[in-house]
Amino acid sequence: MPRSAFGVSVFCLALGLGLAGCKIVPDPDPNEAGATAAGQSDDERMQAYAADAWEPRVLPVIAGKRLPLRDLRQQLAADPSAAGAAHGLRPQGDSNPWNFAVTGEGVITGGKTDSRAAKLEVDTDGDGKGDLTIQLGPVIRGTAIRDAMPFVVFTDFRDQIEFAKLANAFNAEAHKRTPFPEGDIIGQQVQFEGVFTLQGKGEKIELVPTALSYGG
Amino acid sequence: MTFTRRAFVSTLAIATALSAAGIAAAQDKPLIAIITPSHDNPFFKAEADGAAKRAVELGYDTLILVHDDDPNKQSQVIDTAIARGAKAIIIDNAGADASVAPVKRAKDAGVPSFLIDREISESGIAVAQIVSNNYQGAQLGAEKFVELMGEAGNYVELLGKESDTNAGVRSSGYHDIIDQYPDLKMVAQQSANWSQTEAYAKMETILQANPDIKGVISGNDTMAMGAWAALEAAGRTDVIVVGFDGSNDVRDSILKGGIKATVLQPAYNQAQIAVEQADQFLKTGSTGLDEKQLMDCVLIDESNAAKLETFALAD
Repeated sequence: MPRSAFGVSVFCLALGLGLAGCKIVPDPDPNEAGATAAGQSDDERMQAYAADAWEPRVLPVIAGKRLPLRDLRQQLAADPSAAGAAHGLRPQGDSNPWNFAVTGEGVITGGKTDSRAAKLEVDTDGDGKGDLTIQLGPVIRGTAIRDAMPFVVFTDFRDQIEFAKLANAFNAEAHKRTPFPEGDIIGQQVQFEGVFTLQGKGEKIELVPTALSYGG
Repeated sequence: MTFTRRAFVSTLAIATALSAAGIAAAQDKPLIAIITPSHDNPFFKAEADGAAKRAVELGYDTLILVHDDDPNKQSQVIDTAIARGAKAIIIDNAGADASVAPVKRAKDAGVPSFLIDREISESGIAVAQIVSNNYQGAQLGAEKFVELMGEAGNYVELLGKESDTNAGVRSSGYHDIIDQYPDLKMVAQQSANWSQTEAYAKMETILQANPDIKGVISGNDTMAMGAWAALEAAGRTDVIVVGFDGSNDVRDSILKGGIKATVLQPAYNQAQIAVEQADQFLKTGSTGLDEKQLMDCVLIDESNAAKLETFALAD
C-alpha cells in the first residue's frame, strides 16, 4: 500500500521524567511505526481498542440513547436543537454535528450491493420512496459511532490520524456484524438499529448499522 | 489599522520589554494577538480576518502578526505578543514540534494560547487546539473522487510539501479510502510542494508517461489548479481533478465544469470560535471545553460551490 512517509512522532517515556523524558523519534510511516511499546501500528492499536470497547461500552451507549427513527424525525422537524439536546450525542463544542442512535424498520427500495461502499435504500414511512440509507460497507463513510461515544475524547489521542483510525475501527466492528441481504433485495423487510450523524437540512440519513436483520 | 499595526510591530520586533510594556499600558482595551502564516495565501488571511473581526466585536484590540511558517520568526512574534502585553494569543502554528517551546513560554508568561488549524505535538500547554480535521476532509474528498472515477481506473496523486504535517495527513486520508478499491490504480505519486507552477510542470511530464490516466487527486487547491491547467493545455479536460482547501479559484473552476470537487476547511469560522473561547477563558478562567477539538471539513462540489466565499460557506 503506497503511503507517504512524513511526520514525526513524539514519544513521552512514562518514566516519571516528565518533559525531560521526551524523545523525538522520526516516524517513517504512520501506519507501520511502532507507536507503542508493544510495537503495534496505529491501525492495530485502534482495532484492538474498538474491539475491546464494542460490547462493554459502545453497545450500552446506543442502548441507552436509541429511540424510534419515526419519533426522532418528528422531533427534528419541530426543533432540531431541542432534539439534539434531548437525544443527541456529540463531542464537546457547538460546531460539531449531533449524532443519534435509532431503531426502526422498513422496506428496501434500492441499493448498491456490488460496491465496496455497499448500501441499502430503505422506505421507513410507507410512501414507497427510500428515505434512509443503511451503510453495509466494508467502506463505511463518516465517524458517527466514534463521535457518539462520550468516553472517546480527542485530547486522549495522539493526533487526528490516530483518531481517524479509531473511527474506521468502530465502523469495521459494525460492518463485521452486518449481514448482507440475499437474493432480490427490492421489497425485503429490514429491521435496523444504528447511529448516524445529522447532516444539513434535507440530506438523507446515512445510518451505520449496529444491528440489522431481514425478512419477517 | 491592521496594516499600520503590523508595520509598527515589525519595526519593533526586537523592542525591549520595557518600552513594549509602556505601549501596552497606553492601550485601554485588552489586546489579543493573532498570529498566522503569510497572508499571501488567502487561507491564512481568512483566518486572521475572521479572528480580528470577532475580537473587535468582543471589545478587544488586535495585534496581527505573521510567522511565514518559519519557527524562528514564530518564536520572535510570540515574544513580541508577550512583550506587548497580549491577554491571549490566537495562532496557526509553524510546526507541531517547533511550536511547543514558544507556546509554553507564552503560557509561563501568563499568556494563554488558542491554536487553530493545526495541532502541536503536546497537550496541556495551549488552552485550546481547534484542529481542522484534515484526515476527515481528505476522506470526504477521496470518497467523492472514488465515486467520480466509478471505483476504477488509473490515477495520479499530487502531494504537498513534505515538511508540512498536513501533506502527510491528507495523503493518508486519501489512501484510507482509495486503497479499499482494488480497481483504482495509482500510476504516479509526486510532490509539487503546494505550488501551482510546479504542479503544472509535474502534470505535463506525468501525462506524457501515463496518457491513460482518468483522475488526479491533489493535496491542495493550488496544485489542483496547476494540474488542471496542464490537462486543459493537453486537451485532457476529461480527467477528473479533486483538490483540497476550498479556495475561490477552485470554486470558480467547479462552477465552470473544470475541477470536480474540493474540501473546505472552515478557516474563517474556526478563527472566530478560537477568539470566542479566548474571551470565555479570560472572563471565567475556563473554556468549558476539552483542549483538543476537531472541526470537520466540508465537501465542495457543483451542488454547493456557489455558496462558497473566502473559506466560508453561506447558509
